Amino acid sequence: MSSHMKTRIRKQTRSRTATGAGGDERGRVRTARRSAGGGRAPDRGRGASRRARERYGSRVGRPGFVWAVPATVFFGLFAITPLIMVAALSFTSWSGLGPPRFVGVDNWTRVFADPVMIESVWLSLLVTFLGVAVQTPLSVLLGVWAAGQQRNRAVLSAIYFVPLLLSTTAVSVLWRAVLDPNFGVPSRAAWLFGDGNLFGTQAGAIGVLAFVSTWQFTPFHTLIHQGAARAVPRVLYEAAEIDGAGRVRQFFHITLPQLRNSVITSTILMVVGGLTTFETVLILTQGGPGTDTTITAYYMYQKAFKGFDFGAGAAVALVLVVAATLVSLIVVRVSGYDRMRSDMEGVS
Amino acid sequence: MKGHVKGLGNPGAHLRRTLVSGLALALALGLAACGGGGASSSGAAEFHVLVYGDATNKVEQRLVDEFNRTSEVKAVLDTIPGADYQQKLQTIINTPQAPDVFFNWGGGSIRPYVDAGLLLPLDGFTKSDPALASAFLPSVYETAVVDGKPYGIPMRGTQPVLLFHNKKVLADAGVEPPRTWSGLLDAVKALKEKGVTPIALGGGDKWPTLMWFEYLYDRVAGPGLFAKALEGDRSAWESADSRKALGMLKQLVDAGAFGDNADSVKFTDGGSPALLASGRAGFELMGSWAYATQQEADAEFAGKDLGYTAFPAVEGGKGDPANLVGNTNNFYSVLKKTRHPEAVAEFLKLMYSDRFVKEQLSVGNLPTTTNTEKFLGTAANPAYSRHQYELVEKAPSFQLSWDQAYPPAAMTPIHQAVQEFFAGRTDADGFIKAMQALPTA
Repeated sequence: MSSHMKTRIRKQTRSRTATGAGGDERGRVRTARRSAGGGRAPDRGRGASRRARERYGSRVGRPGFVWAVPATVFFGLFAITPLIMVAALSFTSWSGLGPPRFVGVDNWTRVFADPVMIESVWLSLLVTFLGVAVQTPLSVLLGVWAAGQQRNRAVLSAIYFVPLLLSTTAVSVLWRAVLDPNFGVPSRAAWLFGDGNLFGTQAGAIGVLAFVSTWQFTPFHTLIHQGAARAVPRVLYEAAEIDGAGRVRQFFHITLPQLRNSVITSTILMVVGGLTTFETVLILTQGGPGTDTTITAYYMYQKAFKGFDFGAGAAVALVLVVAATLVSLIVVRVSGYDRMRSDMEGVS
Repeated sequence: MKGHVKGLGNPGAHLRRTLVSGLALALALGLAACGGGGASSSGAAEFHVLVYGDATNKVEQRLVDEFNRTSEVKAVLDTIPGADYQQKLQTIINTPQAPDVFFNWGGGSIRPYVDAGLLLPLDGFTKSDPALASAFLPSVYETAVVDGKPYGIPMRGTQPVLLFHNKKVLADAGVEPPRTWSGLLDAVKALKEKGVTPIALGGGDKWPTLMWFEYLYDRVAGPGLFAKALEGDRSAWESADSRKALGMLKQLVDAGAFGDNADSVKFTDGGSPALLASGRAGFELMGSWAYATQQEADAEFAGKDLGYTAFPAVEGGKGDPANLVGNTNNFYSVLKKTRHPEAVAEFLKLMYSDRFVKEQLSVGNLPTTTNTEKFLGTAANPAYSRHQYELVEKAPSFQLSWDQAYPPAAMTPIHQAVQEFFAGRTDADGFIKAMQALPTA
């Protein structure tokens, strides 16, 4: 019974934290717990904690908007302002020399008529999708494993974490060398790699890109899932054990549903990261073979900083911003992340 | 929404996203700089010399020091690390941070600045000191002549593209370094039978692939075809000579000359030079800097087994077999708005001084002044320097690399076109169409 109570309280706490209401959760929980007393009946508990929340709210109040000023100013200065300027630039022709010349929607018609541009959006989506599809199961499994108490777990977790500490540039250079067709791994494993021409085919090049980002970023998502898996109440497993559920069943019926929000969080991060992938392409494939891995972010770089056509580069950049925003919004909507539904559904 | 995600702070995603905001920021800063006033950095009597940052900078610094010993107006040397040079230059050249004198590759790399009216024609300098033109080899000096006026004084060295080979591999296969195209095809066949990749190619970098096009077009059609195309005559690309050159390249590729994974090999990460040095490939077509690359990686191989010849002649071709392609030289160009043109002229005179030539030779560069010949014996590798110098001196034409001759916007499309043609993903028609679509000056 008392555990019942606790989960209920935690549920409120959690949804509060998630909506970002404030920092003083612990105090509120304590108040709630105290007022809930031993918690004799569920409905009484609910009422008590609501009262506690009201009391708390009237006494302390939410943080004022003043607190948001530094971040807002920073964000406005370094994200919104440049974004507006890029939007303005996309209607001009500018090589970096002399003043930009207004050309109306010329860049936009060129960008939308450009097959490489259209292809690049699909490639970006493909790379993103691959990232999510490969990294999510891996990081969930690793994260749940790392949340346990096994021997050597801490040591192995630390080792798994290393790739994240390296710069993406260094990681790309490293893998370029490891995958060299004549002196790297493919030359010793012809049964797997054939002639080793990984960067000469579209499938090979995209496979390498997906593999390298998986290698580097899985540890980060593992960390998210590890934290979430540790937060799953032990009682759920105890109850399941009493009901005779095995480990696999426990994983699918308790752990996985409980990781719901962390999976959504990490998916959104993967989506944003995937759509803006850049260094791996720059170093590993340079958009090749042909234009087979020219994803939108790299295409923007090509247009603006290699071709010195900053107007077209700005238009490409905006397409990417719009695409990334749309995809993220869809993920948020579909997953119910915006409502921050609790993952304690059905526990009480 | 974006702010929300940012708050969660994935360092990786953050980093990548920073690049997008970075573009925005760079664009914004560039705009701001454009609008800014033209106040000069300081009142001191000095001018700034901007160069590509690499190992040669120590020579440039010594020359600047020498100049400053006697000059009232001081020279200040600024460097930008290699890979970012062109980007950085483009973003500062029309701002108050612009240098007075800057390093470039001549040709297409300065044409946009000439068109924007930023550069000082140097005919005034050469009038008062004719040696500023006559002290340099003509085929090199020509590269920085735009619309009939000189805009650059050669500095550093020349880098023609040569056909390197591994002497031991060739001897094992009973092959002589080829002097003709058919000789090369025979060599390819013989090497292939030996189980060796006939020609190492860093296809991942794409510009090494381009070198094959540059030479073959020259040998088949002479330098005129590319010159016409560069001037905007798109029909040059669909001429019979152009198709013939493409057909021969196709024949070479189809003969298996470059192995089956060249697209995954790079010169820049040491892959293709290692193929040559380890005896797993017979030839490599590469700029003269490959000698230094090999020497650094494996001095014994470079000294004993690394051979070099000019690109083979093509039977019945219109191009002179003595013609060269590559980086003709690097140049110093002068901005119109410099406040010390006299001092700059004095500084440029150092570029044909004995001291300059000796310093450059000592670090392995090959200057293209007429007095270079006297000092070839003092070079890091006298025989190699002499061979190159004679090639450059005798070359009727020295074609600047296509990707440098065209304006910067053409670079990526050129690289894609040559790569796709070699990979068999486009045919001759596709290549011709891609080249015709290039922006010309």
